[in-house]
Amino acid sequence: MILFFHQWQGELLKLFARRRTYIGFGAFLGLEIVLLIVFRLQGVERIFERLISRQGQAFGEYYSAITLAQMILGFSVLLLGAIYLALVAGDIVAKEGEDGHYRLLLVRPVTRLRLLFIKYLTSTCYTFVLIQFIAWTAFLLGLAIKGWGGGFFVMIPEAGILEFYQWAEGIERYALASCFLAVSMTTVSSVAFFLSCFPIKPAAATIGALSYILVDLILRNTGFMDNYDHFLLTKHMSAWGRIYAEHIPWPVLVRSFTIIAAANASLFILGTAVFESRDLKS
Amino acid sequence: MALIEVRNLTKRWRADRLALDDVSFDLRQGEILGLLGHNGAGKSTILGITLGMVRPDGGQVVIGGHSVQDDRARALGQIGAIYEAAHFYDYLTGWQNLRVLCSLSGWWDEAEAKRVLKLVNLEQRAGHKTKTYSHGMRQRLALAQALLPRPKCLLLDEPTDGLDPEGIREFRELVLKLRAEFGMTILLNSHLLAEVEQMCDRCVILKQGKKMYEGIVPSQQKKQTVFQLQTRDATKAREVIRTAGATQDPTTNLIELPSHIVGHELLQQLVQAGVRVDAWQPHKPTLEEFYLGLTGA
Repeated sequence: MILFFHQWQGELLKLFARRRTYIGFGAFLGLEIVLLIVFRLQGVERIFERLISRQGQAFGEYYSAITLAQMILGFSVLLLGAIYLALVAGDIVAKEGEDGHYRLLLVRPVTRLRLLFIKYLTSTCYTFVLIQFIAWTAFLLGLAIKGWGGGFFVMIPEAGILEFYQWAEGIERYALASCFLAVSMTTVSSVAFFLSCFPIKPAAATIGALSYILVDLILRNTGFMDNYDHFLLTKHMSAWGRIYAEHIPWPVLVRSFTIIAAANASLFILGTAVFESRDLKS
Repeated sequence: MALIEVRNLTKRWRADRLALDDVSFDLRQGEILGLLGHNGAGKSTILGITLGMVRPDGGQVVIGGHSVQDDRARALGQIGAIYEAAHFYDYLTGWQNLRVLCSLSGWWDEAEAKRVLKLVNLEQRAGHKTKTYSHGMRQRLALAQALLPRPKCLLLDEPTDGLDPEGIREFRELVLKLRAEFGMTILLNSHLLAEVEQMCDRCVILKQGKKMYEGIVPSQQKKQTVFQLQTRDATKAREVIRTAGATQDPTTNLIELPSHIVGHELLQQLVQAGVRVDAWQPHKPTLEEFYLGLTGA
């Protein structure tokens, strides 16, 4: 076990010593600031004021730091988050091949399975760190503008969620939702990781993963797939938002996240099989 | 005793391209074995299979009793290697690179790492990012990583490629020192004949995936079997040579002796037969002559 942690530590060192790993963090911080400015525009505030007031609640109380943070998270994470997660996960196997690092790594007495598992774990770890970074920097920026306290207003039309919570429960729900969101987003990393195991350029793995997620999303939104949407990964990925339902539908969440876990495991196993079958020679 | 046994390796890259055709040889404990061949002869493929990077279509490699194909991790636990060009993580320092690579072997010992860095003369630059390293420094770092943690055997794939003459000499001296001081067994893959001649005890010569020769590096053979004769009595000399069972190359005047006769005995017979011998000297074929003769290049 200690050996495993040493090896994982090495992989994390490689990941976090690279500049491109931080592009996602920088880009999201910039996006969050832009979105906060947008949400503070009078016209935009008026829309939310109408929405909140129509429910008989006070706009001043519920248009709080946590409400802003949730809106930022909801608006930005699926597409922009997917880009940066696919970028890192698409790199994690393919870039090492492109740069010729396997000639150094695999002359060591380590199995390809273990090496890939460490890489997959690292990519999953990056997903959690990035999503938590987005969630909590959005919250901190919201705090800087709106200050501590107030209520939490959340609206997710596709899940039929329009809820109001008190500050403490709002933070709890937000924290829980950010964890489920991170698990959802591991699907993007897993698709990119799987493609990365083929002898292709890292960019091809990234673009391939993003294309898959986009096609999946488009199919879900066209309405043609309404009867088959349980086959679409983005349907299950969006289940995280149900954490905000007044009564959390745990069976729905368990079903969706079991499917996500199964999809991730399958992608890892298939990716490993592909990588195992490769001859690593220039 | 063989540390590495290469058994009947066969590999086809495509249906029409045979990379290795039933190649077998042994690497004995404590020796330096040169793997020679033209580009594309199959040298790197053998090393790739030995390291488990390439899957053979047939045959296997056994290291210290463990098959690389069946139990790669245990087999590779005994070796260090430089396989093809070493590409380090440019954004990490030399020290961090060693740390990352050694973690895959489940081992790290700072004192030992420092000792090896000193051995390869890189201790002053270990804290710098490898993107600032020259090619020679990268090769030395590649050797350092191969030496951690203390392997029984080194596999070196064209380690002096791209080095300047000083770098090549430095590298050669270092490898010879490793054998002399630590009794290390080394498999050296190279197409540089001079390098193999100066460093290796034995060599394996490959041509288009087939083994053409396995044995002592010709210039290092202890038994002298080829002599060069200069004489004005060529006809008489030919008769004596033929009678003695030796063969003579008419263009080079090189005489190859059969096993039952040694050089001074034939010389004595020539003199006794009245052949006026102007010069009689042992001839050691260079590896280049031997290689070119064997491969027909």
